[in-house]
Amino acid sequence: MTIIRTAALLEAALIALLLLLLLLQLRRARTNEASATTAGSMHAGQGAAMPARERFEFLRASTTGATWDCQTQDSPAGPPHSGKGSRFRQSWRQGWRPIRARLAVLSPARVQRSAVCHEPREGPKEARGDTPEASRHAARALQHDESMRRMLALLPFAILMTDPRGRILLANAGAEKLFGYSQDELIGACADALVPGLQWDTGAVRFSRPVGGTHDLFARRKDGSDFPAEITASDASFDGEPLMLTVVIDRTERYELQRNRQELAHLTRVSTLGELASSLAHELNQPLTAILSNAQAAQRFMSTQPINLAEVREILQDLVEDNHRASEVIRRIRTLIKKGELEAAPLSLDHVIGDVALLLHSDAIVRGIRVVLNTDPRLPSVLGDSVQVQQVVLNLLLNAFHATESCPARDRVVVVDATRDGTDMVRVAVRDRGPGLSADKLEQVFKPFVTSKREGLGLGLSISRSIVEMHGGRIWAGNNSDQGATFCFTLPVAAKTEPANTRNPP
Amino acid sequence: MNNTTPTVFVVDDDEAVRRALVRLIRCAGYRAEGFGTAREFLDHDSADDCNACLVLDLQLPDLNGLELQRELNGTGRPLSIVFLTGHGDIPTSVRAMKAGAADFLVKPVNDSDLLSAIEAALERASQALASRIEIEAIYSRIDRLTPREREVLTLVVEGRLNKQMACELGTAEKTIKVHRARVMRKMEAHSLAELVRITDKAGIPHPLLHPPHGAAAVTAS
Repeated sequence: MTIIRTAALLEAALIALLLLLLLLQLRRARTNEASATTAGSMHAGQGAAMPARERFEFLRASTTGATWDCQTQDSPAGPPHSGKGSRFRQSWRQGWRPIRARLAVLSPARVQRSAVCHEPREGPKEARGDTPEASRHAARALQHDESMRRMLALLPFAILMTDPRGRILLANAGAEKLFGYSQDELIGACADALVPGLQWDTGAVRFSRPVGGTHDLFARRKDGSDFPAEITASDASFDGEPLMLTVVIDRTERYELQRNRQELAHLTRVSTLGELASSLAHELNQPLTAILSNAQAAQRFMSTQPINLAEVREILQDLVEDNHRASEVIRRIRTLIKKGELEAAPLSLDHVIGDVALLLHSDAIVRGIRVVLNTDPRLPSVLGDSVQVQQVVLNLLLNAFHATESCPARDRVVVVDATRDGTDMVRVAVRDRGPGLSADKLEQVFKPFVTSKREGLGLGLSISRSIVEMHGGRIWAGNNSDQGATFCFTLPVAAKTEPANTRNPP
Repeated sequence: MNNTTPTVFVVDDDEAVRRALVRLIRCAGYRAEGFGTAREFLDHDSADDCNACLVLDLQLPDLNGLELQRELNGTGRPLSIVFLTGHGDIPTSVRAMKAGAADFLVKPVNDSDLLSAIEAALERASQALASRIEIEAIYSRIDRLTPREREVLTLVVEGRLNKQMACELGTAEKTIKVHRARVMRKMEAHSLAELVRITDKAGIPHPLLHPPHGAAAVTAS
């Protein structure tokens, strides 16, 4: 009997011990979250049974387009975790795989809502977090966190942690290098000096773009020079203090590349202009001829007795119209060589195509090619940059002309169709009756430096593709069922969509 | 055949240019008519309008200016062409002139330049017309000659003496003299020199003058 009793006693004791341990753990977990103590390390392995304290609970926006309002910090925004038990579970789980979990948490690529909202224990969030005392406290805590600093130092880009008032609490080595300040200079400084324009108070950051919290802004170095940067800002909290974690990536190279592409597009336009020079000169010549002959006829009429005023009046009217025609040609030439930032505006494809056709009018006649334009009159406007869209149409038409070169008279026709494509796109197709393209060339022609012309650079189609894709459309080629090839591109209708990339640096 | 008012046909695909040119040309006292394409002009042109010239653009949508010129040359119509074009390259202008154009002008054109070119072209046209009329008249005169008289004509314009001709043709000198007088009368020539000029204009030697039995080989020398 005694053995059984002892066993039972032992069992009870064991259970009691376990319960005690559990309670202890609970209390500890609660203490972690409630106090702003600096104790505790985040190393894995220390007390395997006791999870290391989880310091950071990131509040991330999802990438599905929801706007994240930081004022709602009090209500859980993710999976409905509530109550201490779940928090304990969370931190236990997190602690069990500390380093990896925390790195994952720090990485800006995380897609899901990872953590639960922190519920402030005493009073409203603003009162708690906004006091300089609390910030300094948090700052000190952060600074003394060795593992944190070491981890941040490893990351190859600049990371800043700021308090709700925009003061830098922590900066990694990357930030020092990028901005040119030393650690001491950065800590306590106002982040506005580094990235002017970004809203620094926690809660005021609005993720307005659906794709994460990324902004393209200009950041400033210590020496005063500005550089284009990609800034990802997220709300975080440290021991209950609200913070903002900012990742700054230098985008000078990408900016230059973008600018180079624009330059190239512009140069291609200018070179096309050169090819069309004699045709354009002829276009201008026609109204000038009409003006001269009309004016001289008027002079003759003025020298007769009596003066035929009706005739002279008619001549003057014609003179004005001829002048307008000449200005139109000049305007179109100017549009072609315009160099500048992209301006997205609603465009009438009818006008765009018409303008290009008029530019090429003389060229078409010289080559003996007939151009037929079929634009659906009810075609909606598209959103885009008129210069660039014109460049695409011009490129496709000139290519069609080139394809028609060796055709007999009845096949010397190029047709341009502009129609709706589904509910939110518009399609433009340029059809020729030339030799067509071999199957492998259908995709290859869009690559740079691929050309069938003797004096061609082979850039037209690749630039056209980058323009169309930048506008949110597609461009492709296909062979006609009877003869020749058709090049099509689509553009989004103006009302519904925004163009994919219109980043206008300040 | 309406010879009183010379006509200028303007063929240019640009409406404003056409209107201005027609206006200017009418102002100068000519009759003017405009066409937008070569086809329109060829279909429309009245065959009996001989006192006319053409102001032609090179760049036309269907047939270009040079091709039209070639076609007109083929039909033998005496239309003088003044080319008026925005593209003034040398090879084209040389080709045009070689093919018989009256002038080659570049746009924009001064009224005095255009009108003097038109004047010259019309002059050429009327000269060509007059020449053609004359030649036809000469041929009709030749038609009046008998075969024997044609033989005599050929030898006379070669400078043969009567007795040489008598010897060659196997007749008496007296007969030759009679033939010669008839030839002079029918050809309406008053001297040997005139006869030579007339036959020259008609382009003799001419197959018409070859004697049907081909006895005397007549060749130009």
